[in-house]
Amino acid sequence: MSRRHDDRLARILGGPVLWAGLAALTLFALGPFVWVFLTSLKTRADLYATPLRYLPAAVTSANYVDAWTSRLTPFSRFFANSLLVSSVTMVATTCVSILAGYALARFRFAGRNALLLIFLATQMFPAVLLIAPLLSQWYALGLIDTYQALIYSNFSFTVPFTVWMLVGYFDAIPRDLEESALIDGCGRFGALCRVVLPLAAPGIAATAIFAFVTSWSELLFAITFTTRTEMRTLSAGLLFMVGQYEIQWGQLSAGVMISTVPVAILFTYLQRHLIRGLSAGALKG
Amino acid sequence: MARSDASVAVALPRPLLSRRARTLLTGYLYLVPVAACLGGTIVFPILKAMHMSLYNHVLFKPQEYGFVGLGNYRRLLRDETFWLTLWNSFVWVFGSVSLQFVGGFAAALLLHQSFRGRPFVRTVTLLPWIVPGVVVALVWEWLYQPNYGVINDVLLRLGWLRERVAWLSDPGLAMPAVIATNVWRGVPFFAVMLLAGLQAIPDELYEAARVDGARVIQRFRHITLPLLRPIIIVATATRIIWTFNYADLIFVMTSGGPANATQITSTYTLVTAYTNLDFGYAATLSVVLLVIMLVFTILYLRVTRGIESVT
Repeated sequence: MSRRHDDRLARILGGPVLWAGLAALTLFALGPFVWVFLTSLKTRADLYATPLRYLPAAVTSANYVDAWTSRLTPFSRFFANSLLVSSVTMVATTCVSILAGYALARFRFAGRNALLLIFLATQMFPAVLLIAPLLSQWYALGLIDTYQALIYSNFSFTVPFTVWMLVGYFDAIPRDLEESALIDGCGRFGALCRVVLPLAAPGIAATAIFAFVTSWSELLFAITFTTRTEMRTLSAGLLFMVGQYEIQWGQLSAGVMISTVPVAILFTYLQRHLIRGLSAGALKG
Repeated sequence: MARSDASVAVALPRPLLSRRARTLLTGYLYLVPVAACLGGTIVFPILKAMHMSLYNHVLFKPQEYGFVGLGNYRRLLRDETFWLTLWNSFVWVFGSVSLQFVGGFAAALLLHQSFRGRPFVRTVTLLPWIVPGVVVALVWEWLYQPNYGVINDVLLRLGWLRERVAWLSDPGLAMPAVIATNVWRGVPFFAVMLLAGLQAIPDELYEAARVDGARVIQRFRHITLPLLRPIIIVATATRIIWTFNYADLIFVMTSGGPANATQITSTYTLVTAYTNLDFGYAATLSVVLLVIMLVFTILYLRVTRGIESVT
């Protein structure tokens, strides 16, 4: 009796409830993006129509073209800036972190555990804490409105995360492989490059992409350490656009899509590494 | 004794440093770049913040620059806005994290079932989490827009609202509105973490319980929940700290307004430095934030000790 009752409950939970839940979940996650995407395709007349028009009467690409070529908020330039800052941050972070991660995984020295703890604790640090001192530091060094200031500041959140991830990857590689390379006459660095790196390559690549994406999304440093339009990254450019006289929602939506698509594509590649990355603080928002 | 026959062999020139010392040195050498990166962007700035907090330093009032000792800290104690931001932070963290948890748990349970199109739904669910914070903020600003926003429109059509609401400029509604946005952003985090936890629970446990006559709800209470406990604790503790720190959303959507209704401690620090250019006071707030974070982190490490290996 109760058994049959339970089976029925399980069937309802697995049937209608599941499908309704999935529909709600998809709508919840995707709905706002669909709305912004539709907005980006609308003409001015459709955008500001009363009553609200949900679907564009005429599809236009004008918002994208305008955003990309605009003189006031040139998204082509923002895009290039973001690409440059994020790429350099990614490469530099990865090189630095490979060395540090390898040292922490392989050498037993005093303070190793304390260091690891510090890298973990840094994941908890807010960027706002660093804004005032970094801003005054970059002022003093004359680095306001430079890529260097942005890239260097980005290290404060990419490096601790990447080191933390790489220590884990390196720890998982058996030492015997290196030992034999060392006996065969490889130096430490040679063993790292020829034995460890190829084995850890997938993990390193994933971690590097994480570093890229977090730099791509970074907002606070980007608005604080730049003042000139041509130095803005995409995140800063989007915010800058809102500060204009009147918000151009069509163009802004196009800009939002431009900033989102690359990240979404990169993340679909990262699915497998996501859990580790997220729990280590890849995206802290 | 073993050395006694060494005299026969030719002694190798002794290296300057022992093997052990050389290994250690190599280890430290590998850490030099990372030290340079973090020294300049974390260690030195934190020391500098402590130093700056002792000065009156407003960028556009250079004539008033000077050492004030603990003056900024005294100002902090009397600053009603600061105390308000602490309370707002609490509301923001509690509201965001509890709702994110509930939503994320529901999503994880759904995604744990097998159904056609699961990879697609999983990827879609993640979207709010992986896009840049400023994108989330602007998307929702547009949804909340009083005249052309879709939220007002839908609620009006459903008859739940009589007139259009200015969500982000109403002091009573602004905080719930930004929290709702943050919930949207954070649900995927819990969903992914808890889903990983669910997948780690062996099916045999459920089978055995079923054979023993445990019902759906009993199985959930006595198997799922206890086994998920460690991951729930780690994920929630992490989220609490990140949400406390998170400034992007509120900064973009309301800048802490209207009338500081959404001003949390981290946005207050940001606004003081970025908008008011009051470096001395911003540094003071940074130091206070640092102390709060240290307390949080110690608590976090105590709570999660031994659990970390599970994730």
